[in-house]
Amino acid sequence: MAALRRFLLRLTRRPLALLALLLLVAIAAAVIAAPSLTPYSPTKIDIAHKLSPPDDAHALGTDNFGRDLLSRIAFGGRSTLLIGVLVVALAFAAGVPIGVVSGTLGGTVDAILMRVVDAWLSFPGLVMAILLAAILGAGLQNAMFAVALTYIPQFARMARGQALAVRAQPFIEASQALGMSLPRLMVRHIFPNSLTPLLVQASLLIGSAILQTASLGFLGLGAQPPLPEWGADVASNTEFLREAAWVAIYPGLAILLTVLGFNLLGDAIVDWLDPRRD
Amino acid sequence: MIQFLLRRLMAAGLVLLVVATLIFLFVRLVPGDPAVALLGSGATNAQIQALRQQLGLDRTLPEQFATYLGGLLRGDLGASLRTNRPVAQELLQRLPATIELTVAALVSAIVVGIPIGLWSAYAANRLADHVIRIVSLVAVSAPVFWLALFAQVIFSVQLNLLPVSARLDPLLKAPAGTGFLLIDALAAGDMQVFGSALSHLVLPAGVLAAYLAAVIARMVRASTISEIRQDYARTARAKGLSRLGMVLKHALPNALLPAITLIGLKVAELLGGAILTETVFSWPGIGRYMFEAITNRDYPVIQGATLLFASGFILSSMAVDALYGALNPRIRAGRG
Repeated sequence: MAALRRFLLRLTRRPLALLALLLLVAIAAAVIAAPSLTPYSPTKIDIAHKLSPPDDAHALGTDNFGRDLLSRIAFGGRSTLLIGVLVVALAFAAGVPIGVVSGTLGGTVDAILMRVVDAWLSFPGLVMAILLAAILGAGLQNAMFAVALTYIPQFARMARGQALAVRAQPFIEASQALGMSLPRLMVRHIFPNSLTPLLVQASLLIGSAILQTASLGFLGLGAQPPLPEWGADVASNTEFLREAAWVAIYPGLAILLTVLGFNLLGDAIVDWLDPRRD
Repeated sequence: MIQFLLRRLMAAGLVLLVVATLIFLFVRLVPGDPAVALLGSGATNAQIQALRQQLGLDRTLPEQFATYLGGLLRGDLGASLRTNRPVAQELLQRLPATIELTVAALVSAIVVGIPIGLWSAYAANRLADHVIRIVSLVAVSAPVFWLALFAQVIFSVQLNLLPVSARLDPLLKAPAGTGFLLIDALAAGDMQVFGSALSHLVLPAGVLAAYLAAVIARMVRASTISEIRQDYARTARAKGLSRLGMVLKHALPNALLPAITLIGLKVAELLGGAILTETVFSWPGIGRYMFEAITNRDYPVIQGATLLFASGFILSSMAVDALYGALNPRIRAGRG
């Protein structure tokens, strides 16, 4: 209890971290409580009430098919939060082993792997994701896969740098002298000791992963109708900007707030770990 | 310096070759037959065979690769599946519009981002700093396509200040020339076209610049603050230089180096953002063309546009490297 109070007290002195926490908790709560938030299904079509402005019946109004916007946003949030975490986890799981192996083994393996990673990094991320998603075929899973692929080299580069630094430490030499095999060395020592900066990087990328996947959704390469997804929902309502701007604006606002929450959190973590902080 | 540039140019050429190879492999190695995907499930076998032949998919992978590379060297990117016109020609025709948009955005982002970041660092932990930090974080977090729509609603629909979309008033005729509307209009002395082109450019360029300006401001703030903490900064102050004078004369030049690197890296986001911005504003550039190609599943166009965007990014990285070398001689010596 005392520890919790101390944590909360410290949090109040860091307004950015507090704001991040509040935002993310509020979004998570809304998303979890989605079914009880509104009585409407996110996919129930009601043409008689299409494009109705926000009122008592529909807190955020309805879209072009008369679907309740709040319900679509709340349910769309479920995929969005999942997207952010899954995409980064996927890239982490694929990129970190590449980097750890490259940094530990060094030599030719390292040279070849890193040249490929460099070329990979020289693709503008979204452009590459568009190419991949277009080839794989439109769909939320493929879009997530495409975005994850663009983050792999970032994790690989960073994990390699960490592995190089850890490898140079005496305890690694000691473990090797005691007969520890290379794979075991990587799993037991090099990977765990490289973890902190990689996790920080992962937390920083969640927001950007959400943005990129939403962008693919907006271009029609992500979630397909009638599945509620924020990026696709913005796109499908752009033609009604003049008479009903809110139907395109609110789902985008949801993206903005969620990404802002994750970015604030990332900032707070970086601040927290900064040795020069006062 | 020239030797340094040549070396960079060769390295860039090599990266470009690897990138072109990656694009080729992506398209070929994905499970499923592109021809089937293109034609849909209702296609007959004969149709599929014909398309496979047209795309060269009936030959072996090395054969396809040789044809692809040979084509690239001749500037041949294949033909659009929809219009059958050469992709390279279509891209070239739209390139000036995209360059105009991205350069305008890049310049505005730098012109706005650096002073704001500097101000934020100068006023660190005071009200102005907090406001700037929050606004820039919001700008970094906003989806470009949403920001574009929002700007349209506010500035075009509500306030009726700026045109909603396109590059020029439909009643005006673009003067012939380079394809860069602003330059062509100035060259022809047609101020009406120039004004119209400029007013059409403001919203898309502003929206595209917002993210980058915010990123630059954040970076300049962070690096200026860490420079202010250095000993040399204290010495400069001790010698009687004002705080502002110290920041401008000593901290800023040192803080700009990391900012330049960052700008070079973030050109990638600018190019990705251009696709979204052009789509929302019906800007007749490469990005919008790529979006149309996505909708029509026009693979040669998507592939060509990707290659063009990647080349643009590689070239701009090279330019940043050269600039960095020019500003920081240690780098040149270090790499020699």
